[in-house]
Amino acid sequence: MTDSTDGGTAAPRIDRPLGLPRWAAAVLPLLLLALLAGGFFAATPFASLDAGGEPLPDVTVSHTTLPDDETVILHVTNNGPDAVTISQVLVDDAYWHFEVRGAGGDATLAPRERARVVVPYHWTPGWDLGFALVLSDGATVHHTLVAPSESPGLTADLLLTMAAIGLFVGVVPVALGMLWFPFLRTMSDRWLHAVLAFSAGILVFLAIDAGIEAVELAERVPGAFEGQALVALGVLGAFLAVQSVSAWREARAEDGDARAASGLRVAYLVALGIGLHNLAEGLAIGSSFALGRVSLGAFLVVGFMLHNVTEGPAVVAPVARGERPLIRHFAGMGVLAGAPVILGGWLGSLAYSPTLGALFLAVGVGAILQVVGELRAMIGRGGASSTALNLLTFLVGLVVMYATDLFVAL
Amino acid sequence: MPSLTYPDAAALTKRLEARLVEGLRSELTATRRSVLGGLGLAGGATLAGVGRADDGGHAGGQDGSHGNFGAVGEYRDLEFDPHEYLRRFNTGRGESENVPQDVYEEDGRTVREFTLTAVDTTVTIAPGVEFSAWAYNGQVPGPTLRAVEGDLIRVHFENLGRHAHTIHPHLRNLDPSMDGVPTNGPGVLDTGESYTYEWIAQPAGCHFYHCHSLPLKEHIHRGLYGAIVVDPDPERVSERPAEYCDAHPSQITPALSADLVAEAETRNHAHDANDAVDELVMVMNGFDTNFDGDNEVYAVNTRAFAYGVGDTDGEGHWEPGETKHPIQVDRTRRQRVYLINAIEFDPINSFHTHSQFFDYYDHGTGLRPTHATVDTVMQCQAQRGIIELDYASHDPGLYMFHAHQSEFAELGWMSFFEVI
Repeated sequence: MTDSTDGGTAAPRIDRPLGLPRWAAAVLPLLLLALLAGGFFAATPFASLDAGGEPLPDVTVSHTTLPDDETVILHVTNNGPDAVTISQVLVDDAYWHFEVRGAGGDATLAPRERARVVVPYHWTPGWDLGFALVLSDGATVHHTLVAPSESPGLTADLLLTMAAIGLFVGVVPVALGMLWFPFLRTMSDRWLHAVLAFSAGILVFLAIDAGIEAVELAERVPGAFEGQALVALGVLGAFLAVQSVSAWREARAEDGDARAASGLRVAYLVALGIGLHNLAEGLAIGSSFALGRVSLGAFLVVGFMLHNVTEGPAVVAPVARGERPLIRHFAGMGVLAGAPVILGGWLGSLAYSPTLGALFLAVGVGAILQVVGELRAMIGRGGASSTALNLLTFLVGLVVMYATDLFVAL
Repeated sequence: MPSLTYPDAAALTKRLEARLVEGLRSELTATRRSVLGGLGLAGGATLAGVGRADDGGHAGGQDGSHGNFGAVGEYRDLEFDPHEYLRRFNTGRGESENVPQDVYEEDGRTVREFTLTAVDTTVTIAPGVEFSAWAYNGQVPGPTLRAVEGDLIRVHFENLGRHAHTIHPHLRNLDPSMDGVPTNGPGVLDTGESYTYEWIAQPAGCHFYHCHSLPLKEHIHRGLYGAIVVDPDPERVSERPAEYCDAHPSQITPALSADLVAEAETRNHAHDANDAVDELVMVMNGFDTNFDGDNEVYAVNTRAFAYGVGDTDGEGHWEPGETKHPIQVDRTRRQRVYLINAIEFDPINSFHTHSQFFDYYDHGTGLRPTHATVDTVMQCQAQRGIIELDYASHDPGLYMFHAHQSEFAELGWMSFFEVI
């Protein structure tokens, strides 16, 4: 770096700040902070203000697993600043036997500690159960188990089933949608831009849809993990990550790397964004499956197919100009966009938690938003981006997604 | 209101029924992805034909917004007939095909032997509404058992359900191992296990039996309960009259004693005096269809409005339905109702007669009314009693009776006597 890039705030460099070695100057504030904090603990300056009020216990049941038809396991997290003790458990308003595992051998959870409450209860598939954990101060934590069914263990059978579902819900529809590629190549610039705007509409709808979903799910995230903040972080983080990949390609393109300059770059980014979205979709399918709430009815898979088939042209539209990319690129993009459904399905059915679900959805949103920006830039390079036709097809993209969504959410 | 054509009415009926059935389904949270599951359930239900309502509806009359009682449509499942259940007593003489039974003498005592089997089944609780039940011999309420004071009731119990069950009798039981609770005797009986319970039929009265496995609420409310009627023995009544009324032995006059014996004879199914009485068993029950700990359907003998009128125009014209029709009673006979409250989730239930007062014998253990001349009685969970009705001087026609918790009445516990 020769020319200043900091707007002129840089001063001449000093070798020995405060007359100390550089490392010592870096550590000094931390050292002072540690002293200050230690002093506070030792001196308890707020003792006189302590009116003896207790903070309320804050315990969350994040999810349940049912390894067999005589056991229910509640996964609990203590979000509060104080330890809590689970003294009793009610099942459908009746005191019941239970055992707390994973809390160091007792029923007391330290702050941030997670544990499993194992309840030997002969449940009936499909019949809801209401649980209440009674804490030592009499506070209760409620959890309703809706339509229980046995949790699938990690079996080859399950992995195979999830892979098959993922294939039909993710990869196949995207690949089908990509078959529009030859047709896209025959289009005029004006119409191709319209198709790109249509793709942007599709992506924006997915972002809105997943965003709402993420915020809803965040409410079920244990308090200590700050669900809403986590969602915001996921959105921003993904956006910045995809943006930085994009910027890096940009820099390489300026250095004369022809490949990086092509529409293929945008196409891959679109595939990545859709892939992240589909990962969350797979996670949701997997977790519904784990909760025993997915029917493998053909109409369900068909609904998802219709929904996801529109993602195909969105992926290939950016490469409709210039030379045709190699087949392996199509395969690569198809897998990048569709296969995460499979991965998400495995994750969701084996290690589901609302925290993970919300984070994945948020990451999908962030990635998609960045990709929408890329598409806009791409249309902009070839002329005005906000033509009436483009705005209209953008809207059509939104509406089409909404309509196909109805197949999935009757 | 414009008059409806029959096809219009049928279509409307179907729509309303579908809405009722839909409303009774347990709600799933409606985020898009959890709807996947709901969709699956709904799809499955459609395929299996669960909750399909039947077609036989009638148009509401001229004034359908005021006069029509109860749920729409008729019952299609004819396996259980609440009208037949009313007067079906099992005394060991083979009164029911689905209850293997026998009666014989053993050591100078009459033994009445029954085989009860717990099974998982489905019962219809409102037209087009199915309920997953646990049932003794496949029926809810379970078979009514009837014996005479001092008899031995021997019950071969086999559990074919997926959960562990027992039979706990509300009788004076001198052997704790026969009490049918998890802590005593054989404890709970797992799937495929069986046990023979033996109980002495005492005291006389209107009693009942139910499963006492845990969780208790679930095991009772799913349908594992039934009536036990113990007839008083007139000989024993003449020997110990003070046990059958609230008089001190020193207050018993010959007239009172004779009165008690005569009443005992009307209660004892082996005596001719009993034939003059029309006896009816009514078990008040409720059903929580959506697991919220509150009943969606209330009834006597399981089926909502089964003793209601079929169709009325709200102006005095009515027609009985095929499966929903009033209980016909003969004015020349006394009516006796063995009333049992098997409700769950609600602390009390009640029985109220229109244009009529009755004598009530709490638990039926005495031969003198505990409440004379009342038109409403209240029963807590598991309370029961005998009601003596007399319509001899009433004009023929429809006389309503129902729970006087209006909510229960409008959710199914609403019935009529048709006095002829």
